[in-house]
Amino acid sequence: MQSFSLLSRLWQYLLAFLLIASITAIFFVLRDVLDTTLVALLYLIPLGLITALWGLGPGITSAVITFFTFNYFFIRPYYTFTVHRPADVVILVVFLVVAVVISQLVGRAQAGLAAATAREREATQLYELSTALTGLHDDHAIAQILARQVHAVARGEYVELNVTGTRSFAFHFPETDRPTRPTDLTVPIESARGLLGEIRLWRTAPAVSAGERRLFQTFASQGALALERAWLAQAESRAQVLEESDRLKSAILSSVSHELRTPLSTIKAAASSLRGREVGWDSPARAELIAAIDDEADHLNLLVGNLLDMSRIESGALKPKREWNILSEIVGSVLTRMKYLAEGHQIRVEVPESLPLLPVDYVQMEQVFTNLVSNSLKYAPAKTLVCIRARVEDESIHVQVSNQGPQIPSEDLERIFDKFYRIAAADRVTGTGLGLSICKGIVEAHDGRIWAENLPDGLAFNFTLPVAWDGVKPPQLPMDTEAE
Amino acid sequence: MSNAPHILVIDDEPQILRAIRTILTEKQFRVTTASRGEEGLTVAAANQPDLIILDLGLPDMDGVEVCRRLREWTQTPIIILSVRDSERDKVAALDQGADDYLTKPFSIEELLARVRVALRHSARTQGTEAKVVKAGPLTIDLAWHIVKRGDEEVKLTATEYKLLAYLAANHGRVLTHQSILTHVWDPADADHTEYLRVYMRQLRKKLEADPERPQYILTEPGIGYRFIADE
Repeated sequence: MQSFSLLSRLWQYLLAFLLIASITAIFFVLRDVLDTTLVALLYLIPLGLITALWGLGPGITSAVITFFTFNYFFIRPYYTFTVHRPADVVILVVFLVVAVVISQLVGRAQAGLAAATAREREATQLYELSTALTGLHDDHAIAQILARQVHAVARGEYVELNVTGTRSFAFHFPETDRPTRPTDLTVPIESARGLLGEIRLWRTAPAVSAGERRLFQTFASQGALALERAWLAQAESRAQVLEESDRLKSAILSSVSHELRTPLSTIKAAASSLRGREVGWDSPARAELIAAIDDEADHLNLLVGNLLDMSRIESGALKPKREWNILSEIVGSVLTRMKYLAEGHQIRVEVPESLPLLPVDYVQMEQVFTNLVSNSLKYAPAKTLVCIRARVEDESIHVQVSNQGPQIPSEDLERIFDKFYRIAAADRVTGTGLGLSICKGIVEAHDGRIWAENLPDGLAFNFTLPVAWDGVKPPQLPMDTEAE
Repeated sequence: MSNAPHILVIDDEPQILRAIRTILTEKQFRVTTASRGEEGLTVAAANQPDLIILDLGLPDMDGVEVCRRLREWTQTPIIILSVRDSERDKVAALDQGADDYLTKPFSIEELLARVRVALRHSARTQGTEAKVVKAGPLTIDLAWHIVKRGDEEVKLTATEYKLLAYLAANHGRVLTHQSILTHVWDPADADHTEYLRVYMRQLRKKLEADPERPQYILTEPGIGYRFIADE
């Protein structure tokens, strides 16, 4: 790079000499028709041109050379540097002064222009950088853009950006190995709160100028601002998440303490009256109280189970233990267990045996059906129909649990799967408001989808489950047909 | 009293120990308790109980490990107690040789039923084996390989019979997927629970009044199956 620049300087001088030489040749041919003063005047044109084109150095040098060629070729006696006429001396002196002054003036204007251009370029580069950094909230993206921009502006070989401190990471550009030699420029990334990191630049030539160093320092402070802004935004969103989870926790606590206390009160009342002498040994109330304790203990167990499931879903710890299962077996075992709960309703099952085996977690799928059916039983009036249907649909199985209970305003159809959502008229129904969101968590952990829809005469919960397991289709089974 | 079966209960929760001890003593069992795994192992070695009730969540060591160490020297039936959602631990303990499990909270009827089945099974393996298992209308003659529903013989395929015979011979006990697969099929097939699902469905269709709501071949969610025979 440096040799290239030196070469171009040399070229500028060479071109300047060539221009002076050719002009001198032209003037030389026309020497007899041209007046000496006119030649002096005409010489000023190429001089101005040279300074304007190639700068002050070639300009002044050309002015001095021209002073000599002018004297040598155009001032009598020709071909000597001697001057006889006093007037010629004046011409020569004036020529030199004017030539140098013009060169300097033009040169200064040129330099001013170049400085202005450089400043404009810097401003543009800074503007580009700050535009690129605006709106970025990811510290890695910021580091990446900063490193790329420094690399592009410096035309460097290699740029490395280190962010230190608790969030330390490094980014480099291009994606090659770092040069083994020491860095050519290191700029700290500093903010008011201290050192955030540094930018390291490798560039052999040209050597990094003071102007470039200043520019990259400005880049670094822009980067520092952007990084701090990103970290602040992150901290804020973390705070929001914490606040949200705090709110959730207090919602859980208030819901849970209420829900837990109801069965506990029943148990306490029943147990203490059995312990005292209020209830006789043969009184029918005794059996009733014992049944109440048993039922409420089950209810408590269910509530605690729901809470555990929810916290597992929340923390992402709900990993289905998949096996190839028969859906109708799962539905059957759920309904067997819910026999007493379902006594007041009619249950219809339309789960064909021809369904393929499903890659699901047996226990979790039971939980989904238990929650959907028990939800239907809770809200639908007694003696109405609860229907469980399943069919193959493309690459998945579509399951529907429908009931003839109250419809839900369409804007709430999605919200019923939210935690602690209870429909307004739910006062007579007990529950944590977690059942449906647990269903959602389980179905989604199985890569399925769950939604609710209003039917002309009730409400339906739908969910789909993919038939394939990691792209593997349900197995075809080896069957023996020979009888014992 | 000295002939009463001796039960060792290993659990770290005093309330549970208190409740189980009260009930079992009331039912004429002799009861010893231990609240730690090491203590439980020592007591088991010293007292040679007839049955061990073992909680999986012990403070000093893993219940599955206690189970494994007991099985190194004794075939005393072990019933494990654990909380819901720990199917993995339950299956691990069952595959380590535990006989049955109960999920907390459990009812005393369930506990007593499991204790009876486990004691009967251990008596059976020590003495004569039951050749005929009856369950409602079903009669399974393990000596003659005949299965009847009422008076009618039920035609089963070879695999179906093998499966049913294994379940019936262990009636009342839970059998894990793995143990059934290795017994009836092959140890190499221990992962193919889908075989089980399909063959169980076929068996239920041939034996149960309502195959979707079976009374005799019960599914233990996430664990395995259990065959319920008449007492």
